[in-house]
Amino acid sequence: MIECRNLGKSYGTVQAVSDISLSLDEHEFLSILGPSGCGKSTLLRLIAGLEVPSQGQVFLHGQEISGRKIILPPERRKFGMIFQDFALFPHLSVKDNVGYGAAGSKTEKQQRVNELLELVSLPHLATTMPHQISGGEQQRIAVARALAPRPRLILMDEPFSNLDYQLRQQLRRDIREILKHEGVATVLVTHDQVEAITFSDRMLLMQKGKVVQEGTPAEIYQNPQTIWASSFVGEANHLPVEWQNDSLKTPLGELNVPFEIGRNARIMMVRPEDFKLESVPADQANGIVKSVDFSGSVQNVGVLLKSGASVQVSGSPHLLWNQEDSVKITAERYLCFNSSGNRLNGIPE
Amino acid sequence: MISSLKISGSWNLFTLTMVILFALPVISLMVTAGSAEENVWEHLLSTVMPGYLGNTFWLMLGVGSGTLLLGVSSGWLISMTEFPGRRVMEWALLLPLAFPGYIIAMVYVELLEYSGPVQSQLRLWFGWNSFQDYWFPPIASVGGAVTVLSLVLYPYVYLLARTAFLQQSAALLEVGRMLGKSLKNSFINVALPLARPAIAIGVSLALMETLADFGTMQLFAVQTFTTGIYNTWFGTYNAPAAAQLSLSLLMFFCFFIFLERYSRRKQRSHTKDSIMNVQPRYPLSGIRAITALVFCLLPVTFGFALPAGLLIQWALESWRNVMLDRFFSDAGNSLVLAGVTAFIGVVLGILLAYGTRLSKRRRVHLAARIVSLGYAIPGPVVALGVLLPFAWFDRTIDAWFKESYGISTGYILSGTVFILIFAYLVRFLALAFGAAESGFGRITPQMEEASRSLGKTNLQTLKQVHVPLMRGSMLAAGLLVFVDVMKELPATLMLQPFNFSTLATRAYGYATEELLKEASLWCLTIVAVGLFPVLFLNRQLRETSPRHYKEI
Repeated sequence: MIECRNLGKSYGTVQAVSDISLSLDEHEFLSILGPSGCGKSTLLRLIAGLEVPSQGQVFLHGQEISGRKIILPPERRKFGMIFQDFALFPHLSVKDNVGYGAAGSKTEKQQRVNELLELVSLPHLATTMPHQISGGEQQRIAVARALAPRPRLILMDEPFSNLDYQLRQQLRRDIREILKHEGVATVLVTHDQVEAITFSDRMLLMQKGKVVQEGTPAEIYQNPQTIWASSFVGEANHLPVEWQNDSLKTPLGELNVPFEIGRNARIMMVRPEDFKLESVPADQANGIVKSVDFSGSVQNVGVLLKSGASVQVSGSPHLLWNQEDSVKITAERYLCFNSSGNRLNGIPE
Repeated sequence: MISSLKISGSWNLFTLTMVILFALPVISLMVTAGSAEENVWEHLLSTVMPGYLGNTFWLMLGVGSGTLLLGVSSGWLISMTEFPGRRVMEWALLLPLAFPGYIIAMVYVELLEYSGPVQSQLRLWFGWNSFQDYWFPPIASVGGAVTVLSLVLYPYVYLLARTAFLQQSAALLEVGRMLGKSLKNSFINVALPLARPAIAIGVSLALMETLADFGTMQLFAVQTFTTGIYNTWFGTYNAPAAAQLSLSLLMFFCFFIFLERYSRRKQRSHTKDSIMNVQPRYPLSGIRAITALVFCLLPVTFGFALPAGLLIQWALESWRNVMLDRFFSDAGNSLVLAGVTAFIGVVLGILLAYGTRLSKRRRVHLAARIVSLGYAIPGPVVALGVLLPFAWFDRTIDAWFKESYGISTGYILSGTVFILIFAYLVRFLALAFGAAESGFGRITPQMEEASRSLGKTNLQTLKQVHVPLMRGSMLAAGLLVFVDVMKELPATLMLQPFNFSTLATRAYGYATEELLKEASLWCLTIVAVGLFPVLFLNRQLRETSPRHYKEI
């Protein structure tokens, strides 16, 4: 439905977004994940038509809507927007906010407003003013307002950041359900990996104005393209490695990897849940337990390796560890990265 | 498919058109000044220029020190100390702003001239017979003008100094005192240097008003650039000479605008990190409290209470002689002119501010700045700059019609209310623009993004979102323009149609015929209207972050 080709935006000498291509299908939920200042909001605004691209184009159903010469103004794109600070019109009541963009006759509008207030389960707030309702309620109203003109696409810029943790989770689920119910495609911009992972069908990971990786949340988690991606999405342990005598020397011992991978490997990455810990006598151990964090379903263990590096291990609490336990630690799954931070093994892209 | 580049293009076009329209007066002055047949400049230099420069110099020096003394010390007393009556004085010190310079000048001329009540009473008491028997300070002099203008202009300095003192972190002053400085010493060593940029802004605003003042100078027979322009125009109709005088005056303004802008930048850096904590006021008691109160009462008395009281008394005395139909027709004219200008000004101000908000081009922002400089151009200069191109236009049309059809069209634009409103807009649009800009500043850009993503155009968004949200600032902007138009004298005098007068021009006319008592009703009305923005300012004073009057 939406396609961006080689999209770029620069402000003076600052390149906010460079050479981004992406496509979005009907009904698809895409999230754009990245640290603040990576250009993700600019990308969203380029799609919305609020910014004019410096290069590249945006297509809607194959028709160019943004380019260097042609810009379909935002009001004619039928894209709904949801903002971090909700951006409800403070001078309008809740129902007038929702009805602001609705089309049709007075009764049609009325009907749409009621239907949407029902959908976000806030019909009792219809006549209140925005400042009288809570943040979570405001964001639901903002969603209802964005849905009122039956948009083709919903664009959300950090919509949950202004809400507290508990509310955020609840609202994320609710809004996802509402949007799925309306069957509208959605682009979510966020810096929160949990949000991106739980909300979307597909993720676009951005860094410094460029796309680092694109894929389903599971793909990106399991096969991060770069060291940076591995630590931005999920927890990661990074250990230095060295290729010696046809085997890979690691702080966990020697590993057998193919020559073409091992030769260039400089760093290995292991997810905390991919370690295996065994209790062994001190002389056979390669690490000592230094901290234990028990939090119900998960146990996080900090292990100091003989090499001097320390790693975080997480696992089920069936076997409880104590400080100063001697352990043998092995990695059941790992990825190798070269000196420029790119992944060498695992599923090729 | 409509391109939004085109839409913002039409906004840019609008902004640039406005700039050209508003730069017209200055351009026409330059063209006219350059078109002098003989060397007017040399003539001006050898005749009137030395007098103008001398008077201007003494006026600047006098009003500068006067406003500095009154404004800084009252600002300090109000913000840093506590004495009985301080709360009342806090707003009462603003009251003189309601008096235009020329009205207070009229009152003091009437009061202090040879035949006025003060001198007559003195002669009666001491048995003097004529002016040869005693010495009395001449009111119609540079000294008189300095005194009168200092009395009505010090509130600029007071307002800004007070705000600056309040914004200073109390900790800084406490550090000063802990290091062994007395209150007085920490004022001189810490507070005053920190407040210097704000005070400089206040003084430069007061000095710009002084340079632009026409009525006071004319009534006190002090020859300066503004009266020079007026008299050159009406006395000799020597347009190039008047234009050259106007341009020389504008050069002074460039200097003060630079000073003001520069100080504003510095002020920002001085108050950026300051925390708005409540400072403990230094309590004054006994003789010191009385001195403080009397010190604050002095400018309020002579700048407001006394002249207002006299005007009321004279209005009551002359009640039977007042031609009420004349008053109502003048008041009606003033009301319509001020109302129409305020309305157009607010609409244009909003459109202009919205245009700059939508545009990211530096050109457009610069253009908006140029429009807002009109506020710094004195009335006679604006009047001349507007009159010249309009008169040229009328003459050209008239000549063409005479040649082609044998009909004379006469003056179509000049000599009508239209030109007057245009001149007002050139001068006062900056007020409306500034207020609209600060109104927009309080609305997040996400409001219009939300609105546009909901299918509304820029103009619909302006109407449905911004305008309802900005009602307050628009009202304030309209009020400021309204009051300034009511008070405006020189441009109105130069441009008003034949047989047409406003409250201000009639009052001035009475005063020049020494019929001040008859004018008191007119003057009182102007002062009463002028009180509105003072009340408005007073309300803003109470807000946590005070805004500056006439922040352009």
